[in-house]
Amino acid sequence: MTKADDNTNQRSVPLVTRRTLLKGAVSGAVLATSSGFFAGRAYADGQFMDLDSLRAANIDWRQAEGASITVGVIPAGYFQNLETVLPDFKELTGIDVRFEMTPPGQIRQKAVLDLSSKTGTWATHAADPMYYDLYVTNDWVDPLDGYLGDAKLTDNDWFQYEDILAGWRGATSVGGSPFGIPFDGEATIQVYRKDVFDKLGLKPAETFDEFTSNAAAAHDPDNRLWGTALRGFRGAGQNMYIYPSIFRSFGGEWFDNTGKMVVNGPEAIAALNWYVNLLNNYAPPGVENWNWPDIADAFGQGTVASYIDAHGSAAVITNPEKSKVIGKIGFARWPKGPSGKRVSSIWNWSFPINGALSQKDKVATWLFIQWAASKETQVATTYAFPGAYKRTGANRTSVWEIGEYRATLEAAGDNYIAAATTSFAEDTDVEWRPRLPQWPAVGDTMATAIQAALVGQSTVTDALNEAQKKIEAILKG
Amino acid sequence: MFATERNFALLMVAPGLLVLLLTTTFPLVFLLWNSFHTVNLAMPFLDGFAGLDNYARMMADSRFWHALQLTAIYTFSSVALQLFIGLGLALLVMQISAGQWLFRIVAILPIVLAPVVVGLFWRTIMLAPEFGIIDFIFRILGLGQVNWLGSPTPALISVIIIHTWQWTPFAFLVLLASLAALPPEVFEAAKIDKAGAFQRFRYITLPLIRPAVVIVVIMRSMIALSAFAAIFAATGGGPGTATEILNLYAYKTSFVELNFGYGSALAVSLLVITICVSGLLFRLRTAHRG
Repeated sequence: MTKADDNTNQRSVPLVTRRTLLKGAVSGAVLATSSGFFAGRAYADGQFMDLDSLRAANIDWRQAEGASITVGVIPAGYFQNLETVLPDFKELTGIDVRFEMTPPGQIRQKAVLDLSSKTGTWATHAADPMYYDLYVTNDWVDPLDGYLGDAKLTDNDWFQYEDILAGWRGATSVGGSPFGIPFDGEATIQVYRKDVFDKLGLKPAETFDEFTSNAAAAHDPDNRLWGTALRGFRGAGQNMYIYPSIFRSFGGEWFDNTGKMVVNGPEAIAALNWYVNLLNNYAPPGVENWNWPDIADAFGQGTVASYIDAHGSAAVITNPEKSKVIGKIGFARWPKGPSGKRVSSIWNWSFPINGALSQKDKVATWLFIQWAASKETQVATTYAFPGAYKRTGANRTSVWEIGEYRATLEAAGDNYIAAATTSFAEDTDVEWRPRLPQWPAVGDTMATAIQAALVGQSTVTDALNEAQKKIEAILKG
Repeated sequence: MFATERNFALLMVAPGLLVLLLTTTFPLVFLLWNSFHTVNLAMPFLDGFAGLDNYARMMADSRFWHALQLTAIYTFSSVALQLFIGLGLALLVMQISAGQWLFRIVAILPIVLAPVVVGLFWRTIMLAPEFGIIDFIFRILGLGQVNWLGSPTPALISVIIIHTWQWTPFAFLVLLASLAALPPEVFEAAKIDKAGAFQRFRYITLPLIRPAVVIVVIMRSMIALSAFAAIFAATGGGPGTATEILNLYAYKTSFVELNFGYGSALAVSLLVITICVSGLLFRLRTAHRG
């Protein structure tokens, strides 16, 4: 739910076939829709990537030939790009993969129902990192050590698991063992209107106080410009996306010395107060029902001066069909909280292996996951993708270092790459959210409390005390 | 002969009966069973027989009592509004000599919409801040902005209005049919006796349409108690817990928090309340018949 499901009309982009690609040099239409890098290259095999480069891996890609698996994903541009390049996977492995698109609001429930009933409907699915503790507690998914360590299944000299961003690997591991392989993700960054800030002599905020004072200075609702907006809608993936970063920036710890979860300590009260005051003073009316698309739309319409959210939301505000502020956008890192910490989410969509599958299907699923997370497929679905939408959440350090990739991203606006990469390197926090199998219940309880405080249904202190009581009951069972 | 025919008949009915048992009785028994167990996907190691633990927890759960209170407010006010507005409309339409059919057709429209569509329709087109029609009208009339779905009390009022909007036509249609079937002679006799309009309504119309009124109240109460889709779509129970009626709380506990044991207990409590309320209303109806 937290990701940018922009560009949902991706599927209407005509597929660029190998033949048209070979003709690419003379085909102006293809050149116009492809990056120069892609159009200039003719692959020896495969439509979208060089399959020989994949075959260089010292494993038998065809060991599960004939298998057929279903993958649950959300209808977002980054998965649609992956779906588009699937024919190359079939060509490589002889495995049929079918994507089933489920809206982000329902995919968690559907996955849990599938896993708990052990029907094995989804061989793998786009998994929320917060759900791994729940999956592992119930033995619903396979530990991936065995797959990564098996020379028959993985050639790590080629795959390079360690190349995947460390924060994301941490987020999809439980007790040090990986249970999912990240495919796409994001950093939480500050986005602001450069023209407005320049006119008022403001700089992107370095601290929370500056963020508030910037919002106050830019706030001009009579001229339909509001100071800022953050996610206000109630949900584990909505207001509980932004609040944990604020809480951690205030120096909050989810667990005390004895391991007891505490959500109503002084840092929590200060963090929630900051959030409630900021939004009540400087956010547009209705913000308590806003998720990130609402924020990005409002910013794109020029009615919000700054926000903090996923770097992937840039796809909305730089979309010429939707946005009126193209060329006026600046990006910066998450501002420092009172504790001196900047805290980005470790949000990513990753692929686990459903434990209820047959052995052959497990192998097929692992091959699919390895392929999707490989550098080749990451490149083919990001800057080299032959469509208008190019993914911006590549999972590997090495991809973030490629010049073409950086060039595609830098077009989004001022300082975009630097803000995102520094966040990945320095601001990600594995303890961003409390890692517990009871997360769905805990996350929802917190989300309810935060929204209740925001709309004044209860005071900040009462809301957090109430949440603490409820969470203690949840953890007791 | 009779015995075999009877057996044959039973055999014929058996498949239908079996399907009915499997699809209605079994889930109900399973729900009861679950409510006496700990079934928590987040903590499978605790699963087992729990006796009355879930119910004891419910008694001490302030969110349950809050949800119960909201359910009572929601049911009482939406049924009352439906009844008064529906009866008022029916009495008005009775005065119209031609074209009653038009009102009947228009009245059907909200009823045939799926509640989830109704919820989304109100959320996006009618009540949204800045863009919604209601917000627009309020601003034009100089009544200021009300954050309909974003503030606790307006949100509760909004979901009651949404439910009333959708289901008043039901009350209207039933009462209209009932009014149309009343014998005109009685009213003529009353007029000759110089009974005023209010007297005629109070002492003739109302007692005569009483069965229809009671039916409306019973049916609407049962539905309002278990309302779900429209609220889910419009507010999701929020903001905070301002519109989280019991049904939504049971759903969230089971399917969001994955605590199926406690969620089942909440659902059972709603079932018991619904049965009690409708039983009471039925009793009121029969009590007055004699």
